Amino acid sequence: MDTRPTFYQEITNMMYATHGDPISTCIQCGTCSGTCPVVEFMDHTPRDLIGMIRADLKDEVLASNTYWYCASCFHCNVRCPAHIDIADLMYTLKRYSIWKNQYPEGLIGPTFAETFVKMILSGGRSYEPVLAPAYIFNYGLQGFLNEALTATGLLLKGRIPVLPPRIKRLDNFRRMVGHIIPASNLVGEAK
Amino acid sequence: MATPKKLLIIDDDPDFVDGIKTILRKAQYEVDVAYNPKDGFKALETGQYDLLLLDIMMGRGAEGIMVARKMRKDTRLREIPVLIITGIREQIAFLFPGEQVHPRFVAVDELVEKPIEPTLLLEKVEALLKEAKVKKAKAT
Amino acid sequence: MKAYAYFPGCSLEKMALSYHQSALECARRLDLEFQELDDWNCCGTTAYFAIDQLLSYTLSARNLALAEKKKLDMVTPCAGCYKNAYFTNVTLKRDADLAEHINEALKEDDLHYAGTNQVYHLLEVFCNDVGVQEIKKRVTQSLNSLRVAPYYGCQIVRPRKDHEEVENPRYFEDLIAATGATPVEYQLKMRCCGGSLLITSRKAAFSMARNLLQNAMDNGAAVIATACPMCQVNLECYQQQINQEFGARFSVPILYFTQLLGLALGASPKELGFGSELVSASAVLAQIRNKETSTTQSPYIRHATS
Ligand code: SF4
Ligand code: SF4
Ligand code: SF4
Ligand code: SF4
Repeated sequence: MDTRPTFYQEITNMMYATHGDPISTCIQCGTCSGTCPVVEFMDHTPRDLIGMIRADLKDEVLASNTYWYCASCFHCNVRCPAHIDIADLMYTLKRYSIWKNQYPEGLIGPTFAETFVKMILSGGRSYEPVLAPAYIFNYGLQGFLNEALTATGLLLKGRIPVLPPRIKRLDNFRRMVGHIIPASNLVGEAK
Repeated sequence: MATPKKLLIIDDDPDFVDGIKTILRKAQYEVDVAYNPKDGFKALETGQYDLLLLDIMMGRGAEGIMVARKMRKDTRLREIPVLIITGIREQIAFLFPGEQVHPRFVAVDELVEKPIEPTLLLEKVEALLKEAKVKKAKAT
Repeated sequence: MKAYAYFPGCSLEKMALSYHQSALECARRLDLEFQELDDWNCCGTTAYFAIDQLLSYTLSARNLALAEKKKLDMVTPCAGCYKNAYFTNVTLKRDADLAEHINEALKEDDLHYAGTNQVYHLLEVFCNDVGVQEIKKRVTQSLNSLRVAPYYGCQIVRPRKDHEEVENPRYFEDLIAATGATPVEYQLKMRCCGGSLLITSRKAAFSMARNLLQNAMDNGAAVIATACPMCQVNLECYQQQINQEFGARFSVPILYFTQLLGLALGASPKELGFGSELVSASAVLAQIRNKETSTTQSPYIRHATS
C-alpha cells in the first residue's frame, strides 16, 4: 500500500472524501466547456483541464488560470452527462495550489481568499462581503472607503458600514474554529 | 532480534512521504503509507501498528485532526502513539504568523513541523515507541 | 402563522438593508413569522471553500444549529448563504464522521446540530409555502404590467438538489406575474453575473454582467429583480464602470424581488427601503402609481432593427 500516487491520484485523493471516484468517468464530451460562461478567459477549457489531470500534466495544470477563473456557477455541473462535480474539482485545484504554494504568479485570488478568511475569523462576520475584501486588500481601509465612494457611490447612499461588525459570543466562536483549524492564536482572547 | 516495529504514515504529499519512508526503513522500521485520510483510517482499523505519523491538511481541510479524534474514541486505537508532522504553517501561513500550531482539543503525543531533520524524526519515533512500551508494561 | 428562523447574512446588515427591510415587510404581510437568529455568524462565501471546506461547513453548521435550537426551519434571502447552508445540512446528514467532528467544535458555543430542520431560500418560502395563488389573492396594488426581468443567478437553482428543473424554472416568473407585472423572457436569466470574479478578473466579471444587462434590456426589461444581495450589488454598482469599459449606456434599476412584491402587497416605498438605489427607481415607482399613463414597453427598450 505504498505505491507513490500520480498527480491524477493526488487530486482524486483530495476529493476522495466527498466523491469516491471523482473524475474517471469523464467522457470528454465538452459539454462543460460549451456551458461555461467564463471559458473565453480561461487558458484551458474545463474539459481540457480534466484531460490534462488524467494525463498527469502536473506543471501545466498548476500553471493554468482555469480554476482561478471558475466562478463556481455550477452550470457545468448540472449538465455534465457523467455527473462530475466540476466546480468541486476547481475548488480542489485551488486548494492544492494554495497548500503547495504553487499558483500562477500575479494572481490575487489566493491572497484574497486568505484575506477574506482572516477577516471573518477576527469578527465572526464579514465586512461587506462583496466589496470590502477587494478594496481593503488593494488599498487599505481608508482606500476602501474612498474607492467605494468614488467607484460605486455606495457610501454616498449610506450602504457601507463604518466599522466592521462583530458577533457577541466571539470567544466561543473562535474556540469553535480552533477545533477545526489547529491554531493557538485563534483560541486566545478576542481583541 | 525483535520483530521490527510497524509504522503507518497518513500523508497526502508523495514527495514528503518518499523522504521519511526512506529514513525510517533504513532504521529498520516496517512502514506502510496511506495517501488519504479515509484509506488511512481503514488501515488503522485492519492493521496492527505501533505508531502513526500523521499529516494535518488533507482532503477537505484539517482532516488529520479528524483522524486523531476518531482514534481517541476507539479503545484499541487509542493506545497507538501519534506523531503529527505538519506543514500547515506553510500551507495556510497567514493564520498564525509566529504562533504555535497546535490541535489543542485533541490529545496527540507530539507535533513537529515540516521540514523535519532525519535525526530528529528518528529520535521522536524512538522516544514515542519507548513511552508506549512503558505505558503498556504498567497497564498489565 | 408559520414561523421560520431567519438568517439575514452579512450583506443585509447594511449594503443590502433594503432587502432585509422588504423581506421582513413581505413576510409580515403574508402572515409569516421570521425570527432572526440570535448572534448568527458569517457562513463564508465561496472564498472559504478554496482553502478549507471543513471550516466552511462548521460556520454554516453553527447557524443551522441556532435555528434547530428554536425548532425552526431556516430561511435566508442570500443565495450564497442558502447554498452553503443547504449543502452543509445535506453533507452532515450523509457524513456521520464529519457531523461528529463539527459537533465537537459546536460544543464551545453550547450548540449541537442533529440536522432535523430544513433550509429554504426566501423565494422558495414565498413561492411554495405561501404559494403564488395565495399571493395573487393578497395583491392590493397591481404592478401594472411593469416589465420585470427575473434574475435567478447561480446558487438558488444550482447545484442540483433533487430532481428539480434546473434548465428553465418558472416560479420566479409566476411570482412576478402574480403581482400584476409582466415577467420578461430572456435567455440569460440563469447565467452567472460574474460577481465572484470581481477580484480575480474585473474584465471577466464586467463582461459577464454586461452580457446579462444587455440581454435583459434587449428583451424589454424596465427593471431586473434579484433574489441575492451579491447579484444585486454586482449588477447595480458597476453599471457606470461597465458603461465606461464598453461604451454602453446602461441605466437599469436593479431591485430586490421583495421590494416589488412588497409594493404589490400595499407597502409604501419607504417601508421597503427604497431610496438607496444607485440607479434610480423613480420611473418604476411612477409607472406603478400612475395607472393612466402606464406603458407596457420598457423606456430602455432597444429594438433589434435600430
Ligand atoms: S461535461 Fe462532464 S463528461 Fe463532458 S467533458 Fe465535461 S466533465 Fe467530462
Ligand atoms: S462552475 Fe466554473 S467551470 Fe463550471 S461552468 Fe461555472 S465557471 Fe465554468
Ligand atoms: S455568504 Fe456572504 S452574505 Fe452570506 S453570511 Fe457570508 S458574507 Fe454574509
Ligand atoms: S456570480 Fe452572481 S449570480 Fe453567480 S452566484 Fe455570484 S452573485 Fe450569484
